[in-house]
Amino acid sequence: MKTLIKIKPKDYKTGEVVKIDFMAMHPMETGMRKDKDTGAIIPANYIDEVKFLFNDTLITKMVIWESLSVNPLFTISFKVPGAGTLKVIAKDNKGQSVETSAPITPKG
Amino acid sequence: MERRSFLKSFGTAAACAALLPHVASAADEAKKVVGPNEMNYETAVAAITGGKALIPSAKVVISAPEIAENGAVVPVKITVDSPMSDKEYVKAIHVLASKNGNVRCANIYLTPANGEASFGTRIKLGGTQDVVAIAQMSDGTFLTAKQNVKVTIGGCG
Repeated sequence: MKTLIKIKPKDYKTGEVVKIDFMAMHPMETGMRKDKDTGAIIPANYIDEVKFLFNDTLITKMVIWESLSVNPLFTISFKVPGAGTLKVIAKDNKGQSVETSAPITPKG
Repeated sequence: MERRSFLKSFGTAAACAALLPHVASAADEAKKVVGPNEMNYETAVAAITGGKALIPSAKVVISAPEIAENGAVVPVKITVDSPMSDKEYVKAIHVLASKNGNVRCANIYLTPANGEASFGTRIKLGGTQDVVAIAQMSDGTFLTAKQNVKVTIGGCG
């Protein structure tokens, strides 16, 4: 699972509210689609949990179902309390898990 | 009617019906494939609120396109007007698509550290339906808002 964290805007100060974009490359199979050649149902495979942590403190937890689009995007707000590390942990229903980090470096 | 004949000409109507039982015609109902998390709107709302009343509120704002050309990727943004202080904040935002096989899309559990109560994502919509947002406030009330999205091509395959 490839992932990407983007913080918008690029320059921010302590106390400012920024937007955090988290993207994951994932097929998000619903479990209701059939294979075009064999006719067999493709088993469900979707991200079911995403956690956003700042310095290991939970900011936001998401419980997700298969209704989200392929390669899902998650955008949340975050009030920057100071410098630190943002960590995003995404897990899918097959138990595959991925951890991504990004530094939070406020200017001033 | 144009949409239906268009889909049939592509031979994907059966696949669509399987994905979206609630918008399928009666003839297609027999071929229905039930997804792993099948849940209808009433059950999902009851599970979220625990029987409490939903209050329609202008504090909850959904921004989604009125007409989505592609049901597989519908951008949805939800903001809830709240100070997000330790005493008064939005505990959770629930996103539902009222006529998908599994109406639940995402439950977002927020904390005051978010600063603002907002959530953006892209969802799959099987057909024309309401996108519903339910905000669970820290005082125990449930505020809601909905927006109808017209889908010209369903989110199948």
